[in-house]
Amino acid sequence: MSAIIENNQLPFSAKFLQFYKDRTLLAILLSLFAVMFIYGIFFTENYLTITNFKAIIRDAALYGIMAIGLTFVTLSGNFFLLSLKETASICGVTFAMGMATGFGSPDLAGNFLVSLLAALAVGVVSGVIQGYFVGMGGNPIVVTLGGAGILYGIGAWWSDNLVINFTRPHDAEWLGTGSFLGLPSITWSFILIAIAAEIVLRHTNFGRKVYLVGANKAAGKATGHENFSMAIIVFTICSVCCAFVAVAFVAQMDSAQSNYFSAEFGSSGDMTILVIATVMVGGNSIMGGYGSTLRTSLGAIFIAMVDNMMVLQGFNSGPRIVGVGLMIVFSIIVFGLFAKGSRAQE
Amino acid sequence: MENFIKKITKDVDLSFAILLSFCVYVFFAINIEVFFSHNISFAILERFAVLGLVGLALTICIIAGEIDLSIGSNAALCAVIVVKLTDPLGAPLAMLIGLSVSTLIGVTQGFVIAFIRIRAIVITVGTLMLLRGVALLIAEEKTVMLTDFRVPDFITTKVLMYFSPASLTVIFIFICVGIFMRYTKYGREIYAIGGARKEALTAGIPLRRPMIIAFALSGFCAGFAGTVIGLKSGTAQGLGLQYLLLAGTVAAFVGGVSILGGKGGVLGAAIGALTVNFLNTGLVFYALQVHFVQLFTSVLLVIVIVFQTMSRVFDSRQARKSLLATIDERKTSLLEKKRSAIGR
Repeated sequence: MSAIIENNQLPFSAKFLQFYKDRTLLAILLSLFAVMFIYGIFFTENYLTITNFKAIIRDAALYGIMAIGLTFVTLSGNFFLLSLKETASICGVTFAMGMATGFGSPDLAGNFLVSLLAALAVGVVSGVIQGYFVGMGGNPIVVTLGGAGILYGIGAWWSDNLVINFTRPHDAEWLGTGSFLGLPSITWSFILIAIAAEIVLRHTNFGRKVYLVGANKAAGKATGHENFSMAIIVFTICSVCCAFVAVAFVAQMDSAQSNYFSAEFGSSGDMTILVIATVMVGGNSIMGGYGSTLRTSLGAIFIAMVDNMMVLQGFNSGPRIVGVGLMIVFSIIVFGLFAKGSRAQE
Repeated sequence: MENFIKKITKDVDLSFAILLSFCVYVFFAINIEVFFSHNISFAILERFAVLGLVGLALTICIIAGEIDLSIGSNAALCAVIVVKLTDPLGAPLAMLIGLSVSTLIGVTQGFVIAFIRIRAIVITVGTLMLLRGVALLIAEEKTVMLTDFRVPDFITTKVLMYFSPASLTVIFIFICVGIFMRYTKYGREIYAIGGARKEALTAGIPLRRPMIIAFALSGFCAGFAGTVIGLKSGTAQGLGLQYLLLAGTVAAFVGGVSILGGKGGVLGAAIGALTVNFLNTGLVFYALQVHFVQLFTSVLLVIVIVFQTMSRVFDSRQARKSLLATIDERKTSLLEKKRSAIGR
């Protein structure tokens, strides 16, 4: 009580400092944002253009959506999935199969809705199965490592490891390359999903349960919120987000292959690790119970910004991966040091 | 010998591992004619030199209650360094430098984990990416190659029909690590912080020393695996060797480690690695694509996880049942006492 009164009497600047002291990592992230931004304005050509910023957010959208899904898993204390890119690739293959062949029936070929539903269904099934094993008491890392191999194997087996093409014009163009009010559809989906996830986490029963189970598994179990159902739900949410990203990506490329999301994807190496990096750089506690999807979205935009700047400066992929890796390690160490003695720890 | 048999039959996970590896071997030995031959045994031991080490690295980490996700990147980095330095410096010096870099990385990781007290999966995801980037930087984003491919011949010559210097060294490392883990104070400390960390810390075991030793061993093993792969193939890539994580995890879990830590051992790691090797070598004969190997390896992992979870659930149920039974007994005896008191 006295702390509250004291806090109210403080001058504004002290209050501001207090606010940032409570949110050390957010403060560091925001100041890094500012530094990057100023550096970009003065030392990088073509940085301060609307096209470039659109490109940054578009890049961020692809792994940002997956990272928002992963945030649910992380918040609920189930660490992370190592099968993100494999889930995405099998869903992409499913979608492309639907668009190209209609799963064997020529009437359905090119039917966007059926293909989308099939891809999402594959995502739901893989999420439920992995969540079931994790909920039964398996370790999330080991279960999803096994799941990754199985999903990749099935996806490659099904598509014979070939590139599945479908020709334009198709019904999914609006999602892949279309734009609305000047922004690409994938960016709009990123914004909408981020807002929806934030509302779900902050203002619904379910969202609070996610925080409860993540912060204190024993308390959650004692109050009747077991990790079993929670694991299934959050894994499903994450897998569906992966499926959505896969559909958007495949719709943009007009083709799919089982290793589209593997090491060569994008610029920063492995998609799975990039998404996990996004969640961590945003400053979410990997032990669960602390963080938000807003942080994750900021993390995605930050990584995209750094990457974009390094591309404009003409760096190769090696330094860029080192940059992202340093960011993860830095944010983990800073978070670990500042959170010492708090509940974010074991 | 009797003690040995008793020990194996007492340990459910280890006997399951032996059974599983036996099943896999017999399956391939029946279906493939040449599987039971000298050359195939030599090939299996050659693969064991790589996979066994990675499995051993992960086993040590999991015994300490942590998991090291960066071993693939660590191995790739070591491979790149060794292959790149072999030309100017010669193979032994290059190997020495590569191994010391890998070990140093392990030490640093262990120190950071123990100092900040975070879970290893968190920091090793970061180092996975970082080390991969460093390996790419060192390799200048190309495939590094030896100019003289005869240089690494000394590790692939056949010795004693089944062995090569590489596999002999790996078996030697296995024995050394086994003795270290079992009969020295430092090795038992690793078991202690894995099995019951809070109790171990309360009893006065420092967290920093066993953690650094565990991760140094893991880094060394990963680096050695990378060295063997790099020198054998004569090439190395910054983005390569990521499959080692899956294969090593399967080997460790088939070998009977528990994700909760403090369980398992070097013998289990060897059996687990052999099982994965039997599977991989056997699948070669069916001329399958790479993704099938990954698929079957993952299926093996899932089988083991399901078995472990089942046995854990079964154990806890059994424990609860016996607890309930004792409570019931006491209740009935109390009731009888009461009744007799009332009746009187």
